Amino acid sequence: MTEPAKRSPVIAPLDLEHFNQILLNNVGVAIALFDLNTMQILFNNVKFHELFKDHAANATIDQILGLPEMPEKVQLGEIWSQEIEIKIKRRSSSLAVQISRHALAGQDVGVVECHNISKIKELEYMLESYSKMVEKNARELRREKERAERLLLNVMPKTVVEELKEFGVTTPQRYDEASVLMLDFVGFTEMSISHDPTAIVSELNDIFTAFDRIVEQFGCERIKTIGDAYMAVSGIPDPTVDHLQNIAHTALLFRRYIERRNRTSAVKWECRIGIATGPVIGSIIGVQKYVYDIFGPGVNLASRMESVSGPMQITMPASVNERIAQDFQTKPAGEHEIRGFGKLELYHLIRSIDKQGHYIL
Amino acid sequence: MTQTLYERYGGFATVSRLIMAFYDNILDSDKLADYFEEVDMRRLIDHQTKFISSLMGGPASYSNEVLRNVHKSLNVDHESFDEIVLILRQTLAEFKIEADDIETVVDAIEERRFVIVSEEKTAT
Repeated sequence: MTEPAKRSPVIAPLDLEHFNQILLNNVGVAIALFDLNTMQILFNNVKFHELFKDHAANATIDQILGLPEMPEKVQLGEIWSQEIEIKIKRRSSSLAVQISRHALAGQDVGVVECHNISKIKELEYMLESYSKMVEKNARELRREKERAERLLLNVMPKTVVEELKEFGVTTPQRYDEASVLMLDFVGFTEMSISHDPTAIVSELNDIFTAFDRIVEQFGCERIKTIGDAYMAVSGIPDPTVDHLQNIAHTALLFRRYIERRNRTSAVKWECRIGIATGPVIGSIIGVQKYVYDIFGPGVNLASRMESVSGPMQITMPASVNERIAQDFQTKPAGEHEIRGFGKLELYHLIRSIDKQGHYIL
Repeated sequence: MTQTLYERYGGFATVSRLIMAFYDNILDSDKLADYFEEVDMRRLIDHQTKFISSLMGGPASYSNEVLRNVHKSLNVDHESFDEIVLILRQTLAEFKIEADDIETVVDAIEERRFVIVSEEKTAT
């Protein structure tokens, strides 16, 4: 049995020339054929005419494209390409031009293909400028973030800021042992009323700034100031074995700073300092307005030590004295009833001793 | 926070296409094409994209001072300004921007009419 006739492809006699015409006018590329000797256009498609308008009919190809040296550059079997800018009827366009050389029926023929790449060029330009803008905004954002972070670092330890940044929340930390320093000024309330408020705030600001530097020098953290009270801690958030020594040195330097300052300052300041050691919890308190704060027996004891201190004295319990006696000169201050802690043997911190046994502060 | 027009209509991708179409339409206008005779269209399209973006609540911003400076030498008259606004309206509509939102954008441009139009020219 033979195959059914309908299955075999029926090839109608095709008008190839007509087909080529249709093809040439329907591709999305402007195409022209030209004589390489005379530069006359032999044929151009509709797209070519759309692009060059009447020029397509009235000028030679090198005039149209503005490429006078073109024919020498085009070799047989090679494709020569270049990007050009043209301006037809006030409209500038970027074109990607490709020219190839062919021998056609004894004639030296060039084939030009033009892709309109204006839109691509416009987009490229826009993309570049847009990304520059985005980068600039990103830089500003980064700066703003750094500024916010610096602000946070002023009010809480670095590790807490990092935890907050990474997780959005922080968990309260328990420190089995940290040393706490509490300081306030004798008669501050009276001072603040009897002096010009601006002057007193400026003095306090001056003193606390100096304290901040001392605190930093001994690897301690300033937790907060409340009015004329200043609170610093050692061993938080990074535990350290020297926390007691650090806080004792800080206390001595605080006192020495005040002493020296009083020699030249009109306003005489007198501080009370208490130091203690014990378990402490550190945490961020608050949601919208949050601060980093510490709590626990260590904090309470330091506060009690401060309140039993006399002017320019540094007071501590016997438990602290025992552990720093090697490095510091201390003096017994008798037994006191301390609220929440019962009867405690207290000591005053006098100065520190270096390795050779010399007194330093 | 409510979405800006810029975000709602697809941000930079939409606005950049819209502005390219906008200038295609402008260059077809005999009244306007002369203004753009010597202009680097790439830069202009870039600036216009950012400008329209800013009117739609997107990034970038142009102060009236900047707008006045760049239009100073162009002697734009009210008629041309109206023509541009008309073409912008048409282009926005082609891009399926809702009527209310077209008014928002056009209002924002109208607010700057006296920054863009040179008054000397209109007096003659």
